Amino acid sequence: MFNGLYIHFPVLAVMVLFLGAFLVVIFGTHAKNLRRVIAITAATISFALIYALIKPVMLDGEVISYWMGNWEPISGYALGIGYEIDGLNLFFALLVEATILLSGLYSLRYMERDDYLDRYYTLYLMLSGAVLGLVLTGDLFNMFVMIEIMTFAAVALTAFRNWTAGALEASFKYLVVGSAGSSFVLAGTILIYAQCHTLNMAQISSMLCGSQGLTPTTLLAFGLLFTGYGVKSYIVPFHPTAADAYTAAPTSVSMLFSGMVNKAGVYAMIRMAYVIFQAMGIPAVQTLLVLIGTVTMFVGVTMALAQHDFKRLLAFHSISQIGYVITAIGLGTALGLTSGLFHAMNHTLFKGLLFLCAGAVLYSTGTTSLDKLGGLSKKMPKTTILFLIGAFSISGLPPFNGFASKWMIYQSTYAKAMETNNIGFAFVTIVALVVSVMTLASFIKVTQSVFFGQVTPAAANAKEVPFAMRLPMWIMAIACVLGGVFYDKVLVWLLNPAASAALNVTNYIDKMMGDGYAATAGVQNIEAHGATLSFWNPVMWLILFVVVFFAVGLVVVFGKGTRGKVLEESEGQEIEAKYDSFFGGEKALPSHLGGSDLFWGFKHNWKGYFHFMQRMHSGVVNDYALWAVVGGAFVILYTFVFLR
Amino acid sequence: MFNKLIENSTAKSPWLYHMNTGSCNGCDIEIVAALTPHFDAERFGCKLAGTPRHADIILITGPVTEQSKDRLIRTLEQVPEPYVVMAVGSCPNSCNVFKDSYSVAGPLEKYCHVDVSVSGCACKPEAIMLGVVKATEILKEKRRAMKK
Amino acid sequence: MEILIALVRILIYPGLLFVAVGGLLLAGIDRILVAKMQRRVGPPLVQPFYDFFKLMGKETIIPHHANRTAYLAAPVIAVVSLAVTMLFIPLGGFSAVSGTADLIVVLYLLTIPAVCVIVGGSASGSPYAGVGISREMVAMMSYELPLVMVLLAVAKKVGSLSLQAIVAYQFQNGCMLFHWSMIPAAIALLLVIPGEAGVQPFDLAEAETEICEGTLAEYSGAPLGMFELNHAMKIFVLTALFTALFLGGIDTGIVPLNVVITFVICGVLVWLCCSLPHAICARLRIERLFKFYWTIVAGLAALSLVLAWFGL
Repeated sequence: MFNGLYIHFPVLAVMVLFLGAFLVVIFGTHAKNLRRVIAITAATISFALIYALIKPVMLDGEVISYWMGNWEPISGYALGIGYEIDGLNLFFALLVEATILLSGLYSLRYMERDDYLDRYYTLYLMLSGAVLGLVLTGDLFNMFVMIEIMTFAAVALTAFRNWTAGALEASFKYLVVGSAGSSFVLAGTILIYAQCHTLNMAQISSMLCGSQGLTPTTLLAFGLLFTGYGVKSYIVPFHPTAADAYTAAPTSVSMLFSGMVNKAGVYAMIRMAYVIFQAMGIPAVQTLLVLIGTVTMFVGVTMALAQHDFKRLLAFHSISQIGYVITAIGLGTALGLTSGLFHAMNHTLFKGLLFLCAGAVLYSTGTTSLDKLGGLSKKMPKTTILFLIGAFSISGLPPFNGFASKWMIYQSTYAKAMETNNIGFAFVTIVALVVSVMTLASFIKVTQSVFFGQVTPAAANAKEVPFAMRLPMWIMAIACVLGGVFYDKVLVWLLNPAASAALNVTNYIDKMMGDGYAATAGVQNIEAHGATLSFWNPVMWLILFVVVFFAVGLVVVFGKGTRGKVLEESEGQEIEAKYDSFFGGEKALPSHLGGSDLFWGFKHNWKGYFHFMQRMHSGVVNDYALWAVVGGAFVILYTFVFLR
Repeated sequence: MFNKLIENSTAKSPWLYHMNTGSCNGCDIEIVAALTPHFDAERFGCKLAGTPRHADIILITGPVTEQSKDRLIRTLEQVPEPYVVMAVGSCPNSCNVFKDSYSVAGPLEKYCHVDVSVSGCACKPEAIMLGVVKATEILKEKRRAMKK
Repeated sequence: MEILIALVRILIYPGLLFVAVGGLLLAGIDRILVAKMQRRVGPPLVQPFYDFFKLMGKETIIPHHANRTAYLAAPVIAVVSLAVTMLFIPLGGFSAVSGTADLIVVLYLLTIPAVCVIVGGSASGSPYAGVGISREMVAMMSYELPLVMVLLAVAKKVGSLSLQAIVAYQFQNGCMLFHWSMIPAAIALLLVIPGEAGVQPFDLAEAETEICEGTLAEYSGAPLGMFELNHAMKIFVLTALFTALFLGGIDTGIVPLNVVITFVICGVLVWLCCSLPHAICARLRIERLFKFYWTIVAGLAALSLVLAWFGL
């Protein structure tokens, strides 16, 4: 039925979201349910349109090119705005759509206590449409426009709960640093346009590689664009605003930020480094990306260890996990790119899940402070299970998806190290593994201080969140488990097409500009050093696990007659002495061990580092803007010193 | 068969939890002496546990003062079955020289059933060891009774 | 038939039963050796079995503040994951299950028992357990860095992240321990084993004298027995991993004999890295422990890694 019709789907998917945004403004100001219906309908239609593309693009390997208003290239020059959807685009579009829909479903109940919800849904749809458009477009300037819409929608959403402390401040920081990033992107785009006289990415790609090569102008453009997209994906040193924004925004929006806004930055970086500039074969670019990625993952996780707030901790983990992704894609190998994409996908799933858990805690207790909460597992057992799944996934424990992707990242970095005989990459592997343990540590901190232990006064009246809020969480939790167990399927269906699309530049250019265009321009595909991908078999491992588990279970069941009884307190008001915590014989006092300084043994040895980081994260927007500029200057300097 | 195995094991792995209810420290030192290389209570599988939840034999020294009474009762409640209460020294049995003091609420029998009692002020380590061996037998019987 | 063989492998040898019995035996050997070094008679060899079965027969009390599911599931998952780990480690030259890059899989599987201790302790709701999990987690961060470096050094020397390939390499070129550049790594791993297994100088998380057994403070009965079993199995798995990594080249031609030799080596290693420090060292403070692992032990491992990198 949809034969050939699907080439219109991408642009429709973007339009539906923007249309929804305007409809909410027009009709949804007073109609409480109508605006919900409009928002969810728009998200669902958009979701369906993009997911319908899996078959042609991912499985059949087609590349969809679409010219707006049918402005096709004239004598080899692209004039109109083009959408081009290959595996890489679509992969990120799938992540974006999943995030939009789940966040929308969650918002329905989560946001019900807020006012001005018409504005919330408008901005939510604007943000979604902008990110989707950014990911799908094939035009450099269109990308900039979408980045601007995205930034301003995000700034407004950050300040949505402007009655909470820090919301306006966070949104102002976001505005300043985000605008700096947008300016970098704009400057880079202008330089490219001056050099190539076109804005179509496929054509730019063919020009930069073929006839003109990397001139000083394009090198400067590379540095500027790299910095600009780096700001959008919140890598170090552009990260502190992200931490503030994620914390201040409503949790469903935090999920959007970590699930798709920074993924859009990552996508832009991949598209730029792999396709537009085709720079991933150059060792200096690899070093730059891996260096920044490693620093990002390390700084993110150590900052997370020092946090006292649930959402802020998650925000720093978002930064840290993006570091993993940047490191992996910076390796420039097929395995590296695949593992980076896989980790980006997993990050969307488990970080979304964790943010929603934080939102559930906020919804039922009104606070996310690790020092005030405690014992929520008694009050919210289902949320606890969901949180544990998310925490184990992000810490990379088998059999969850985090393990599969991290395992691939270690393998690719170490394969790179052995291949190039460069001990630096071995160091990256070690840092990645240690960061993983620290991730686990900070989630243990959250587990201990929020969910386990004794019930604190702040948590005393908490109730389990409604099913409508748990549903998106369950979807992501199940995806976390399935992605880890059947990761070879994910690899074949999603990751391999995406990675090969990023590496297959000639195809990208030919599909957009006409067959043979790339060959005449002299473009060649990037040689991805063929690190062969080896499988571990989680299904087998899981079978082992289940068999042994059942064996233990059988022993337990058959030993029932001989075993001692399991005693549990019957529901009563007063705690019987037998079931009270052992407290040296005393009657147990409320003595919940909170998370604020759980790992002092670690921090004590690193006090110099933590003091330094504390001084650096001053909270002053001037400092952060300075960081952004210094970071940009560093990248530009680096490109000129090492890429010439 | 399993039952038998568990019964035998129960007798052979007594974990001790030591509780001082106002003792003068004489008996406490003798308990520690019993664990030292010279006497080596670990021959019988004894191990000093840090919490009542792990304990099989509760060693109680001292005449049970007013201050320690509630703690004693509370701690004994927290021990999982089967367990044995062993009074070490004369104080838990008779309050010894502290009898009728304003601060003493003993003897121990008022608050729980004492299974083994070792006398002496302070009692000898050999006697404590003998008491522990007796206690393991009682422990085994208690386990048997628990399953019936 | 194949299913039957697979089941035997998983449940009996080298899976659950073998690791459990071997681990408990090694724990018994450890206790005897410590006793001998302190000039005591010591408990019988099968004392850990007595302890285990006794705990099975005691009541299990679930405290008021505990989360029932996590409290009961944690010890079982710990034991299961250790049994599964053993399937990946080549004993006497052959592992039951082999895959590529299983070194990292083993690394992660070895963290699961520690995570289970932490989650179980945390779920029990005791403040003592809270202190215990703090220490356990910092200890884990401490020993993970040198452990990672040791594994990567060996992997670089062999050129593969597969345990099977590492053992095959040693069959060809002699034991890894006899390559002088790998000796620092071997010493580092010997120092990591007591930390990972949580024996005397590094047993801060279960310090019975200071914090009432820490993470295990509220555990009683069968789950506690599971944790005891978990502790014993961990010693066996770690020493077996050392044997596979550094002494994997011992080959008599007969596989059962190889396994017996491996077990004897494990016994010697238990003496070296569990009984000896237990008998002669006092407990460290947690920040000292962290410093020790991140400077001395990590330094040794890094030395080997660098040497291996230059092809020595």
